Amino acid sequence: MEITEIINCLKLEIANIEYTTQTDDLNTYGQDWTRFHQVDAGVIVFPKTVEQVQTIVKLANKLDFKLVPSGGRTGYSGGAVATQKEVVVSLEKMRQILDFNVDDSQVIVQAGVITEQLHRYAEEKGLFYPVDFASSGSSQIGGNIATNAGGIRVLRYGMTRDYVAGLKVVTATGEVLNLNQGLIKNATGYDLRHLMIGSEGTLGIVVEATMQLIKPAVEQSVMLLALSSLDAVMRVFSIAKQQLNLSAYEFFTDIALNHVCGHRSLDKPFDESAPCYVLCEFDEDEEAVMQVFEQGMETGDILDGVISQSLEQGQLFWQYREGISESIAHFSPYKNDIAVKVSLVPDFMNKLDALVSQHYPQFELVWFGHIGDGNLHLNIIKPDDMNIDDFKAECETVNTHVYGLIQQMGGSISAEHGVGMIKKPYLGYSRSAEELQLLKGIKKVFDPKNILNPGKLV
Amino acid sequence: MKILVAIKRVVDFNVRVQVKPDGSGVATDGVKMSINPFDEIAVEEALRIKEAGKADEVIVVTIGNNSAQQQLRTALAMGADRAILIETESELQSLKAATSLLNVVEKEQPGMVIMGKQAIDGDNNQTPQMLATLWKRPQATFVSKLEINDDTLLATREVDEGLETIEVRLPAVISTDLRLNEPRFVKLPDIMKAKRKPLDIIAIDETLSGFEDKELTIQKYETPQARQKGIMVESVDELVALLKEKGLA
Ligand SMILES: Cc1cc2nc3c(=O)[nH]c(=O)nc-3n(C[C@H](O)[C@H](O)[C@H](O)COP(=O)(O)OP(=O)(O)OC[C@H]3O[C@@H](n4cnc5c(N)ncnc54)[C@H](O)[C@@H]3O)c2cc1C
Repeated sequence: MEITEIINCLKLEIANIEYTTQTDDLNTYGQDWTRFHQVDAGVIVFPKTVEQVQTIVKLANKLDFKLVPSGGRTGYSGGAVATQKEVVVSLEKMRQILDFNVDDSQVIVQAGVITEQLHRYAEEKGLFYPVDFASSGSSQIGGNIATNAGGIRVLRYGMTRDYVAGLKVVTATGEVLNLNQGLIKNATGYDLRHLMIGSEGTLGIVVEATMQLIKPAVEQSVMLLALSSLDAVMRVFSIAKQQLNLSAYEFFTDIALNHVCGHRSLDKPFDESAPCYVLCEFDEDEEAVMQVFEQGMETGDILDGVISQSLEQGQLFWQYREGISESIAHFSPYKNDIAVKVSLVPDFMNKLDALVSQHYPQFELVWFGHIGDGNLHLNIIKPDDMNIDDFKAECETVNTHVYGLIQQMGGSISAEHGVGMIKKPYLGYSRSAEELQLLKGIKKVFDPKNILNPGKLV
Repeated sequence: MKILVAIKRVVDFNVRVQVKPDGSGVATDGVKMSINPFDEIAVEEALRIKEAGKADEVIVVTIGNNSAQQQLRTALAMGADRAILIETESELQSLKAATSLLNVVEKEQPGMVIMGKQAIDGDNNQTPQMLATLWKRPQATFVSKLEINDDTLLATREVDEGLETIEVRLPAVISTDLRLNEPRFVKLPDIMKAKRKPLDIIAIDETLSGFEDKELTIQKYETPQARQKGIMVESVDELVALLKEKGLA
C-alpha cells in the first residue's frame, strides 16, 4: 500500500493527526544511534493520546501496514530503525506526568517522558529514580521499558524492570491492556507486564507506565582508580565490594579515556597514564576507602587514585566514563554489549582479550563497561579508510568467535542494549533452539499479522 | 613567604538547600558539605605559587565547628602544609570572622592572605575586604589572574566593565574569582599523608579579645516564592498571541 494512501486513511480516522514526510524528519525519526542500515521510513506519526495509538495500530492491522515504535532513538540495536517504508510511531508528543501518589511512591507517566524528566520529578518529590545512563537526557521511559535499560547503577539498584509497577500497553492487535496496576504483590499467573518489558516494541506499544520511586541514597563519593592491568579490575572489585557499599563500579581503558579527554577537552585525571581505570561510587566512608586503596596498592593492582571532594567533582569524574560512547560515536563503532556472570568476568576478559587481539589486530578497540555487574562494552572503531559495509562484514566474522566464547560461558550477547536488527542473527548464541521456538510463538500470539517492528528481535 | 588561605565549610554547591520548617536556618543534617568553591580556588592558587618557588609555606585556616576539620584535611591533602581550626559552634558574621582571622594573620605574619570572594552560603562578599581594612594592608578582590613579583603583585580583577589590572604592595589580601584556576583532584595517597600534617585548634574566644559584638540578628529564613512553571506553546502564532495578551509585544 502506498504511503500517501496510508496517510489519507489515518487522516480519516484521526482528523487532526500530526505527521511528517519531510526527508529530514524521515531520516531523523527513522533512525536510532546505530549507523549500519539504510534508513527508509514511510511517514512519522505523532499520536497524542492512547486512543490515537490504538487507532493507528488497528488501522495497521486492517490495511496491513507495518509500524515501528519510536522513543528517544538512543537505542544501540537498530530496534527503532525503519528500513522498509514503515509507519514510525513516535511517542514524543506523549510526554506528560499524569499522577503521583505519595503513599505508594509511584508516578504514572506517559511513555514519551524523558528519563531525565523522571529523575528531576522524583527529586522534586524528595524521592529517587535510580536507573541512569549517559543517554538519559534523550531516552524515553517507554524506550527504557521496551529495552529493559540498565546503566550505571545496576549493581545496587537493578534494571528498569525492577521499577515498573504497572503498564498500559496497546497490543499489536490494538487492544489496551492495563497490567499489574501498580501492585507490589499480585500472584495471579503469567505476568504480562514482565513479558512486555524488554520486548523491544515487537508485542505492543507502551503508552503509560507506573514507575516505582525509592528513597534517595545517602551522599555518594566518587573515586577514580588507575589500575595496573585488566586482571586487576576484578581483584580490586572484590576488595571494594567487601569494604564499601558500592552503587557503581565502572571500568574503562586508557584508549577510552583518551577519546573522552580529546572530545570534551578535559585534562586527564592522573599525571601518568595507566592501562585501565575504574570509577567507583559508594556511600561516603573515608576509612573504608583508605583500606581498599592501601590493600590495592600493596598488591600492585592500584597505581593511583583520586576521590571527589564535592558533588561537582563527582560529576566531573563521571564524565570520564559517561563521555566515552559519545566521544567515539563519530567513528561509527561496532558495539558489543556482552555479559557473563560476575564470577566469570576475569576468565572472560582474559579469553576475550586474547581473542580480539588475534582477530582484530587492524582495529582500534575501546573497552569499557559496567563491569561490576558483569557487563562489558567492547567497541570496535571503524578505520577512516574502510567503508561501512566492509567494516560491518569484518566485525560480523569476528562476532562468531566472540559469541562462541559467550555461549561457552553461558553469557549474553546483549546485556542491556537489546537485540533489534543488529544482534538478531546471533540470538541463538544466548537462547536455545527450544527457547527461540517459544519466543516466536509468543510473537505470533500477540502479533499474528507481524505488524509491530517486523524483522526485529525474533 | 608564607601564604595564609582562609576556607569555609558550606553546604555543597550542588545540593538543593532547604529551609528548616521552623524558619531558624537552612537544613544541614545529612547534607553534603564541601569547601566553599571560591576557597578551593584560593587553596589551589596558593599551592601553585608555592610550587612556582615564590612561597615556602601554605597555611589553611577555617572558622567553624569540629566537623570543619574535614575541609582542612582536604586542603592538606591538596598540598597545604598545616592547618588551623578556629573552633566555634556558632555562625559568624563577616566582621567577627575578619576580626578572628586578623588575630591569626598577626601571629603568622603571612606575605599574602588568599580567600574566596564570597562564601556561597551567605554570599556576603565582605570578609576579605574587612580583613584588609583591619590589617591596614592593600587588597585585590575578584582576582582571575595573579602574577607575583618581589614585593608587589599584579592582579587582574573581574569588574562590571570587564577586566582591570592593578598592582598592589605585599603583604596583601586577595579574593578569588571563579576563573582564576581549576582546583586539582585530591589523591588518595595524599589523604594519608595529610593525616600526619599539623592541625592546630584554637578556641574562637582567644582570637576575639576586645571584639565588641555588634552582630545583626537574623529573624527568620524563608524559601523564595516558587517561580511559575513555563508552558510549551505549539506554534509561533500562539506565542505571539500570548505575548500580546501579557502586553509584552
Ligand atoms: C550515549 C549512550 C549511552 C547509553 N548507555 C546505556 C546504558 O548504560 N544502559 C542501557 O541499557 N542502555 C544504554 N544506551 C542505549 C539506550 O539509551 C537504551 O536502550 C534506551 O533504553 C533506549 O530508549 P529510547 O527511548 O531512546 O528508545 P529507542 O531507541 O527509540 O527504541 C528502543 C527500542 O524500544 C522500542 N520502543 C521505544 N519506545 C517504545 C514504546 N513506547 N513502546 C514499545 N516499544 C518502544 C523501539 O521500537 C526500539 O525497539 C545508551 C545509548 C547511548 C546513545
